[in-house]
Amino acid sequence: MYPASIEQYHRPATVDEARAAYAAAGGEAMYIAGGMSLMQAMKSRVLSCRALIDLSQVSELRGVENSGGRVRIGAMTRYRAVAESRAALGPYQALADAADRVGDRQVRNRGTVGGSLSWNFVVACTPVAALACGASVSILRADGRRESLAIDDFLQGPMTTALSEGDLLLGIEMPVPANPASSAYRKWGVVVDALPTIGVAVFVELASASSCRNARIAVVGLPGGPARTPRAEARLKAADLGDPSSLAACAKAAAEECDTAADPWIGASYKSHLIERLCLEMIGTAVRRARSQMS
Amino acid sequence: MTTVEKGWIGARYTRREDLRLLTGKGQYLADLRVVRDPLVVKFVRSSVAHALIKSIDVSAAAKLPGVVAVLTGADIRDKIRPLPTPSTVPLLPGHYPTHWPLAVERVRFHGEPVAAVVATDKYTAEDAVELVQVEYEDLPPITDPEKALLADSPLVHPDIGTNVMFSMVLTGGLTEAEQAANKARVDSIFATADVVVKERFYGHRCGVMPLETRGAVASFDPEAGLRVWMSTQRPHIDRLVFSELFDIPQNQVQVSAPRDQGGAFGVKAPVYREPIMIVYLTKLLGRPVQWIETREEHLMAVSQERDQIHELELAADKQGRILGLRDRVIADNGDSCEGVFWGFIMPFYGAALVPNAYHIPDCDISITAVATNKSALSPARAFGSLPGRFALDRAIDMLARKVGKDAADVRRMNLITQLPCNIATGVHYDSGNFVGVWDKLVQHIDVPRFRQEQRAARAEGRYIGLGFGVAVHASGVASEALVPMEGQPGYGSATLKMDSSGTVTVFEGDAPQGQGHETTMAQIAAEILGLDPEDVTVRVGDTNNTPFASGTFGARGGSYTASAVAMAAKAIRDKIVKVVAHDHKLEPDPAHFRFEAKSIWHKDRAEALTSMAGVCNRIIMKPLDLPAGADASLEHTAFFEAKEPMMAFSAHAAIVEADPASGEFRILRYISSEDVGRVINPLIVEGQVRGGVVQGLSNAMFEEFIYDENGQQLTSSMENYMLANAADVPNIEILHADTPCEHTPLGTRGMGEGVPGPVPGALCNAICDALEPFGIEIRDLPVRPDRVWALLQAARARAAG
Amino acid sequence: MTREISVTVNGTVYRKQVPVRLLLVDFIRDVLDLTGTHQGCTYEGVCGACTVQLNGEAVKSCMMLAVQADGQQVTTIEGLARNGVLHPLQKAFKEHHGLQCGFCTSGMIMNAEEFLRTNPRPTEDEIRHALIGNICRCTGYQGIVAAVSAAAEEMSAAGTPAKSGS
Ligand SMILES: Cc1cc2nc3c(=O)[nH]c(=O)nc-3n(C[C@H](O)[C@H](O)[C@H](O)COP(=O)(O)OP(=O)(O)OC[C@H]3O[C@@H](n4cnc5c(N)ncnc54)[C@H](O)[C@@H]3O)c2cc1C
Ligand code: FES
Ligand code: FES
Repeated sequence: MYPASIEQYHRPATVDEARAAYAAAGGEAMYIAGGMSLMQAMKSRVLSCRALIDLSQVSELRGVENSGGRVRIGAMTRYRAVAESRAALGPYQALADAADRVGDRQVRNRGTVGGSLSWNFVVACTPVAALACGASVSILRADGRRESLAIDDFLQGPMTTALSEGDLLLGIEMPVPANPASSAYRKWGVVVDALPTIGVAVFVELASASSCRNARIAVVGLPGGPARTPRAEARLKAADLGDPSSLAACAKAAAEECDTAADPWIGASYKSHLIERLCLEMIGTAVRRARSQMS
Repeated sequence: MTTVEKGWIGARYTRREDLRLLTGKGQYLADLRVVRDPLVVKFVRSSVAHALIKSIDVSAAAKLPGVVAVLTGADIRDKIRPLPTPSTVPLLPGHYPTHWPLAVERVRFHGEPVAAVVATDKYTAEDAVELVQVEYEDLPPITDPEKALLADSPLVHPDIGTNVMFSMVLTGGLTEAEQAANKARVDSIFATADVVVKERFYGHRCGVMPLETRGAVASFDPEAGLRVWMSTQRPHIDRLVFSELFDIPQNQVQVSAPRDQGGAFGVKAPVYREPIMIVYLTKLLGRPVQWIETREEHLMAVSQERDQIHELELAADKQGRILGLRDRVIADNGDSCEGVFWGFIMPFYGAALVPNAYHIPDCDISITAVATNKSALSPARAFGSLPGRFALDRAIDMLARKVGKDAADVRRMNLITQLPCNIATGVHYDSGNFVGVWDKLVQHIDVPRFRQEQRAARAEGRYIGLGFGVAVHASGVASEALVPMEGQPGYGSATLKMDSSGTVTVFEGDAPQGQGHETTMAQIAAEILGLDPEDVTVRVGDTNNTPFASGTFGARGGSYTASAVAMAAKAIRDKIVKVVAHDHKLEPDPAHFRFEAKSIWHKDRAEALTSMAGVCNRIIMKPLDLPAGADASLEHTAFFEAKEPMMAFSAHAAIVEADPASGEFRILRYISSEDVGRVINPLIVEGQVRGGVVQGLSNAMFEEFIYDENGQQLTSSMENYMLANAADVPNIEILHADTPCEHTPLGTRGMGEGVPGPVPGALCNAICDALEPFGIEIRDLPVRPDRVWALLQAARARAAG
Repeated sequence: MTREISVTVNGTVYRKQVPVRLLLVDFIRDVLDLTGTHQGCTYEGVCGACTVQLNGEAVKSCMMLAVQADGQQVTTIEGLARNGVLHPLQKAFKEHHGLQCGFCTSGMIMNAEEFLRTNPRPTEDEIRHALIGNICRCTGYQGIVAAVSAAAEEMSAAGTPAKSGS
């Protein structure tokens, strides 16, 4: 209900100040972004800290930008801003699809892309969408080094990422492909806009109206956290996009290569069914969106 | 009557309560600043379902600065009288386990209070809770009521010697011989019936979770006595119990329910452990003490209802006319430690209402309530009856399929037409027009046209379906029934006081939580006394100034309390007539006088005789030359006792579209046809119906208290105990029938209580109807797409193999 | 452990020394005694009863620390009516029976008010969707949705200037 005692609160204005504040707190510090996960953890006393470093005023970490052939999203960009930036996101609509349906308005007014990726909750929307989008994640290590990691390497299982103590996630970026490309994400939950029981994100870059140059499919709702489905991706790359049965085979492959587990609400086989259904639907949406860019 | 019914009763009058609530000026329990710097209590709750308490180490917690006391069961067992006490036990042959506010020696469910921490503020109290170390010796958890019935099952209450807390045959009569004869008769009906439906249904554990949790603030002064503010539906009962437990005369105990309460729906009716502990602590420490329940505590300890298995059988003829019914009800009673209700009163009452609105003279119904290591069932709207409604309404659809008829026709054919009547369990149905309410519903839907649309849709590969559910529910329970069931009276009471300026104060001992009593009771008094509702102030829930009342539950407001208000207003009116007639030398015949527009009029005079303000001032302030027998009092307390229970009837219909590929379904329309007697305020009635239907939908589709096999409760946050949000539910269409009730002064009945009952049946019948080509039958709640999908898969496998 | 903060609440600047761990909702309710903002859940931040506006945007005040509001503008239900004139949403909630027990109402309105500034002419579906973060246990939502819809119409018709919420 109430957080354990906290000694200090800092609200740095720059990334460097943030890192310095963290260092000064001598290990027992935590960054807070939107607080939509961290406050739950602090209030239920799963986590506590001596110093809390609030990233909300670090303006360099905020914003969606599409320039120089790259789409960049700052870690402190709120869901609300992501959802409102569909145009700037270009092919990476899946991230807006995800942001648009995270929790509720109040959560979207606070929660951030960086917070969601750093937390990497076992069932969350942004990590799976970023995985399908093939994002690279920029990190400022505690010792000041900057690093860029493929999202596949960044996400390391539920509540685990490549971030170590004191590392700051700066943002993600994705190249704008040369060919028409797009992506889509949808989740299914017990109530409307609940945490995903299953969510599927699909990215396609078209070679022609009926074939892919590149495809990525990622699924969330699995016990091991979000995961790509390499066999389904391979099938999609080889598929005739105009042939419903070949798309259906991709979706089926995705369901088959994911090991689902029952949760207290929904059984494992239904989750497999959901993967197949959502995958087929998201392939359709991503392809349709990508095709609409063809002249 | 000469009173020109000016029309406050029945008016769509917007609520008196709203303005303060809309501007943030409501005064809920946690908002009250009635005591200075109260100490704050937090409970340490059991982390396991069933265990012996080996040790509790409170030393670290007690040392924390700001902590005033840490108490455990061992500290209080000789200091506080345990429950049951005389006023917390019903007159029913059940087991009433002895229990204290804190677990003594053993814990019986995940979430049971084991220690209480008292600190100067809530943050510190929570710090201290973290520091309390409890060592448990695990006992085998009992989580399945049917297994708990086996001879070799471990026991939840070893001192009682059985896990059966209550069992009863509800049909046939009171003696075993009568019951056996009845059973034989029902058996022979089944043996010769054309059609038999035999199914096992399950209505899962879920409830009504009000948005405001429970809580209590108490202070004690040896001179002034005990003062308790608490979130409760029944302040007078609480006073009685506190008096009994702590040996304080009742007139030294004042319990106040705050004017504003954030919902209750039954949950705030029982006598629970925690408020007793709060009272003890304030006495012990000599300082005011406050406890505001967290949502986590709430979802662990209370709000859990339903949870019944029904082994239900119907015998019918070829036409679908029901000839007999058997039902074995097993209720998962939880630890059964809960003053007044003990977990089983709800399923007992639900079992008594199993025949619902259907004419089934030959029934064999029994109930067994079984203790398990879960939280005790606590009352929830549709009191005990939701699983039974679901079971029978589902069974009727199955019957309709067997006899090849439309479920609507089978239902109509079996509805009770002769009222009043006693149903097979002895419950008396007083009045109403079930068939009329039903016909209104099916005409509104136009069933034949729907069937056409359904066929056309199927041809296009779309699956729409129609389902019905009905409910007869009591609006308030008369003393005659309530005394045996809960050991408490059922009458409604109200005091009306007029003041010398001609305005009225109504005092009622109930404690409403959103039902709009300040509006409806004011409408009634205003109408009878010719005033505006603005001239009437309604004060609720304080034992010091209100007449004894059993509380706000079971839709008593519109029936019992409203009737008492009307009686009191009429009594005052008669008295005023006497004085006015005397003053104007007129015959004191009430029929000659009209109370209207804040004045009093005579049939033969064009001008008003006097204003209300004038006559009230004259009686109270100038009590000279009064007619013989009159005095200066313009106060009256009325008690309304119904001779018969008043039953309200509702018939619901759901229309859904279901997807045979995914098992998903969408509610296209939901229609409720209700007969609540004369309506005091349609706005409020509609609000009650809509809210109740959505609670029923939320129960049916989303909400579920889940315990794992170790008895760990997995659903103690609102992330996991999922409630319908605004995007999950449809608009509800409402049809009113309004058959006046003959034995209440205004023709009103209560309503609202039973509304969720028919919802799961209507919804599931609609889903099964939509997917009828695939041959699925839903038997278990909740209904979620994955379950429907699994049924479809199984049906396909059957069809294939 | 404590820190001095300065928060503008409903137009008034409050300078207070508070524990760092103090929740914003407790600052509002216990320190400022503005009890119109309610609390309906433990740590999960699901019910929405505590919704206030931070710099004009709806947020759950149980999911923030008071220190995070330092230097910012907070609007609570108590700050919505101006000079005793009810906001169109407040009027519409009464008119359409959008509340029963009223416990969810403050949060509901503080969310809806911002929503209508971002979407002045919403459809029913959009309204229902916008209210997902506010659980109501009494009304079945229908009256609430009708009230938000009616308020939107009234405000659009009257050209009510978008209130900044700060
Ligand atoms: C009611 C509710 C509903 C929700 N529904 C959904 C949903 O449907 N789908 C979904 O995906 N999520 C949902 N969430 C979770 C939500 O998405 C969280 O916002 C998100 O997981 C965390 O983002 P945040 O900005 O709030 O991060 P915080 O909670 O502030 O931080 C999370 C963690 O990340 C760390 N961190 C944050 N930023 C950085 C950074 N830049 N560098 C390094 N570390 C950092 C923090 O130290 C902390 O450990 C819901 C939450 C709530 C309360
Ligand atoms: S109190 Fe429930 S969301 Fe804040
Ligand atoms: S009015 Fe009671 S919770 Fe909404």
